[in-house]
Amino acid sequence: MNVSQDDARASLSTIRDARIQTQRAAISTYASPMMILWGTLWIIAFIATHLYIEHGQHIFTAMNVVGIAVSAIIFYQLFLLAPFSGMQCNAFISTAGMFACVVMGLWFKSTFMIVLGLVMTGVTLVGFYLLTSCYCLWMAMMGGGSLLGAGLYIRVRWR
Amino acid sequence: MAQLDNIIHQTVRLQIMSSLVSLDQRERVNFTTLRKLLKLTDGNLGAHLNKLEQAGYIEIEKTFVARKPQTFIFATGKGRDAFTEHTTALQQIIQGTKNND
Repeated sequence: MNVSQDDARASLSTIRDARIQTQRAAISTYASPMMILWGTLWIIAFIATHLYIEHGQHIFTAMNVVGIAVSAIIFYQLFLLAPFSGMQCNAFISTAGMFACVVMGLWFKSTFMIVLGLVMTGVTLVGFYLLTSCYCLWMAMMGGGSLLGAGLYIRVRWR
Repeated sequence: MAQLDNIIHQTVRLQIMSSLVSLDQRERVNFTTLRKLLKLTDGNLGAHLNKLEQAGYIEIEKTFVARKPQTFIFATGKGRDAFTEHTTALQQIIQGTKNND
């Protein structure tokens, strides 16, 4: 096959463009509906709370109820009808949840929560990259089990 | 020395492989999404997918999702290896370390 340097450059450029397009499509499929939903709800809830500070608790409760209900519909569509199969999305959501755990630990100065978040992130990554054939089982046992155990520990010991 | 791949080098097939390889190895993309991403017609995409499937570079999986037929496509290990070698060969040409044959 005869390929000049210019042809090779053009081919590499084609590869780069196609990769960027695909990655953007995947991210926009998963992230943009949630960002639009929660962004809209935040704007409404914070402005409403600014105007009616005495009803702040009710406003944010209503926001969460609406947000969770609409999120459930979006998740249904993402996982069942998505253009991608969603394995990366699954791991992303798990690690994002654990990141929230670390952030909570930082806010409330809890080493336990920080360590839990980091360990669970590690567990998710090990399952995703090293135990591909039994990732779901791994997450059920190690991921779900650790969270359940930590939740029970907090409830029993910290009250 | 890395070798160029005749099957992958064709522009549309190069785009298809680039898209599939940019996803995780267990990730699949459906036919409609790939067609829209690459701005191709059904027939054009189908023909190129057949070629890549015959070479063992991709697999096509037909299934039903919420009672609707869906066609998912993903790159095989062989396809990923061939794509990596092809990309390496292209880089070697640019660097002048590879002679075309």
